[in-house]
Amino acid sequence: MYSLKELTLLDENGKRSDGRGIDDLRPIKITVGVVKNADGSAFIEFGKNKIIVAVYGPREVHPKHMALPDRCVLRCRYHMSPFSTDTRKNPAPSRREVEISKVMRESLEPSLILSDYPRAVIDVFVEVLQADGGSRCAGINAASVALADAGINMRDLVSACAAGRIADNIVLDVNDLEDKEGDADMPVAYLPNLEQITLLQVDGKLTTAQFSECLNKAIDGCKLVYEIQKDALMKKYFGNELEVKEEV
Amino acid sequence: MQEIKRRYVIPGDKIIEGNYKPLMNVVKSGNYLVSTRVGIAEAGKDGVKVIPLSGVYIPRVNDLVIGKIIDRSSLSWDVDINACFFAHLPAQDVFGRDFSPAKDDMGRQLSIGDLIIARIVSFDRTRDPMLTVQDKDLGKIPYGEFIKISPTRVPRLIGKRGSMIQTIEQATQTRVIIGQNGIVVVTGRDPDGLSLAAKAIRLVEEESHTTNLTQRVKALLNVQDPEDPEQPESVNASADIEPQTPQQQQQQPQEQQQQQEQQQQGQQPTSEPQPPQQQQGQQPTSEPQPPQQQGQKQKGQQQEEQQQQQNTSKSSSKEKHKIDNSEKSSSNNSNNDQKEKKQE
Amino acid sequence: MSSSKRSTIIVEQLRKQQMLEALTRGKRLDGREYESYRNLEIEVGIIDKASGSAKVILGNTEVIAGVKVETGEPFEGLENKGALIMSAEVLPTASPHVEPGPPDEDAIELSRVVDRGVRESEMLDLDKLVLVPGKIVYTVFVDCSIINSDGNLLDATSYAVVAALSTSKFPIFEMQDDKVVDTGKTMPPPITTIPISITAVKIGESVLLDPTTEEEACMDARITMTTQSDGSIVAVQKGFTGPFTFDQIISFSEIARIKGEEIRSKIKELN
Repeated sequence: MYSLKELTLLDENGKRSDGRGIDDLRPIKITVGVVKNADGSAFIEFGKNKIIVAVYGPREVHPKHMALPDRCVLRCRYHMSPFSTDTRKNPAPSRREVEISKVMRESLEPSLILSDYPRAVIDVFVEVLQADGGSRCAGINAASVALADAGINMRDLVSACAAGRIADNIVLDVNDLEDKEGDADMPVAYLPNLEQITLLQVDGKLTTAQFSECLNKAIDGCKLVYEIQKDALMKKYFGNELEVKEEV
Repeated sequence: MQEIKRRYVIPGDKIIEGNYKPLMNVVKSGNYLVSTRVGIAEAGKDGVKVIPLSGVYIPRVNDLVIGKIIDRSSLSWDVDINACFFAHLPAQDVFGRDFSPAKDDMGRQLSIGDLIIARIVSFDRTRDPMLTVQDKDLGKIPYGEFIKISPTRVPRLIGKRGSMIQTIEQATQTRVIIGQNGIVVVTGRDPDGLSLAAKAIRLVEEESHTTNLTQRVKALLNVQDPEDPEQPESVNASADIEPQTPQQQQQQPQEQQQQQEQQQQGQQPTSEPQPPQQQQGQQPTSEPQPPQQQGQKQKGQQQEEQQQQQNTSKSSSKEKHKIDNSEKSSSNNSNNDQKEKKQE
Repeated sequence: MSSSKRSTIIVEQLRKQQMLEALTRGKRLDGREYESYRNLEIEVGIIDKASGSAKVILGNTEVIAGVKVETGEPFEGLENKGALIMSAEVLPTASPHVEPGPPDEDAIELSRVVDRGVRESEMLDLDKLVLVPGKIVYTVFVDCSIINSDGNLLDATSYAVVAALSTSKFPIFEMQDDKVVDTGKTMPPPITTIPISITAVKIGESVLLDPTTEEEACMDARITMTTQSDGSIVAVQKGFTGPFTFDQIISFSEIARIKGEEIRSKIKELN
């Protein structure tokens, strides 16, 4: 049984269970400005992940005692719709969702200039409509784009991607099956211009050499994702005009 | 004009390398100047800035805003100014110093849901914005067409010296009140004019970063202008902020105006704020704009400049003085340019 | 007190005046007739992992419903019927007035009213969803997420539920050696009728269908009436503080039937 899984995860031609090579991302599509009432929003399809993110703020903090005198509070809620998973998920927040909300917030925070908005709050609501492995990375990608759409001062975007290990192979962008059956999973979030890592988790065994290869590969993935985030924002704000036309 | 390089940017984009001054929505990162917003970057010899295309309104002292009364305590109203904080309008501002919560009925002056045009008198990192309606043309807006636009589009909607909004007002026989917070109220007698003005305002909002916007607005409004009084429309919102008039030149008229306003305040109790559109009703809009309105618009423009300076001073107050000077000199030039063009 | 500032929707007085003035001319602020709905778009099959799903966009209101089918014990007193469980959450994405957290009374009313239409019309023939009578039955979850809120969540959610259910493919479960096994095959759900809700608000003496957030904020009263395919009424909910007259309710019931049929045909087209 186990060997069968090994086979389906990576065949002799280097093809993965979904037909990808080891360095391929799943198809990614980001649409900006999808939630009309929000200050900023984005919808990401990342493989079969479908995630909607809405940003509200900066706005007044409720309850007021949560406000900080010198900077803005960032709140992040990662939530899965009951129909997003194979078996129905209870709508009440699980411990997993609470942890992911926390690491997402911590991975986004370094990109934001929160001192520009003292006493206020920025709310990031991440709703997973369909989960397919790597939903935290997909959520971070959409959240960062939604924050830019909301016009919050940012030092950089945050791009996220996972890498993992299947037997002796380090592969990019681990999907649901590979996450469950593979040997290690490493989600990474990265500030592509500042070249800093803001999320790093490992779930599984890696040798030191594999660890650094995996991290390298994940960062390469983040850079690919960044181009898609950038295109999505450019398309929303400037249409197909990518250069400012100077009039003479 | 000075050398200006414009580019579309997103947060994190490197705009230019070198020792330039970060003016607005720009941070230094190593030897680069980096954008913090989605917008249009401009690098000139004064420094580097990004005209943002999204973002909520951040209150600034002296801004004119349109707010909605949402709550009332015994001493003040809470006002939603479409910003990161609710603002407060003290009852004393409306009733005068001898306001008494026991004697005076606040509900008779302003009720929940009323819109007011007000000026922000104070706001800092520790206190919520405080408003006043003690000025000419401030106070309750009793009726009109309500439009919400992105606050980042306000400078574009005002246009160079109020050119855009004047075009819209004149062509549609309406009066447009613009809050820096992105709330716009249009008043006028003709329903067709109102809806056309609203359409034009939406067009400006949606296409504010594009070229030839004024031409397209004029086409929508069916305005002919064979003389082409202004130079061809410049590329983007920044054009509305520049050229800057020198600080002294602006302040003088404003001071004069404030004196006038103070004199007039006695005759104009704010308990019955003069509804702005009543003046409009008496004046055919095809005539030149009344000077008062001009004053108001210039203030709006001036606020934009103040914003820049405030942004600058945020990053470094030491640099402020220098920047002021350089802006003055550069804007002096551009101001003269404009004058010459008008004479031609 | 402070949190209510954000959670209550206050319409600008001048908008309210305009609205009332327009109503004296028989018009609404967005130009609609009293009895017309906003643009309604329904897309089904958007969530592969669900047995059925639908996205409904009604004006600016956007709702997603997903159907999950599992097995479990029957409800007490309904031992020989499949179980139907519905929930609705107004996501905090939906508007600046929503706070994250457990559903408030409006959200609970919303899911219960939508549930009532489906349950009372017996849209799903629950008798056909039994594996071991009294012991193991199909459990059908219908969960709704309100993504963006601009009024009339009741109808938008109801349409999403009905569209998702009627286009879903239920897994076929079998008993093998006292264990439930998913055969991997699917079947169309046992649909008997299509319940359609129609909602109106009363502002002054005007009764308006498909209210926007702004209209709801100015309403005196609200009424939702659900009819099934044969036109009979299966669920009603009168809401908010104002009253209706007998005549208003009777004439609304006629509108709910006619308008309901119009929307029903739209949902039938999805199959």
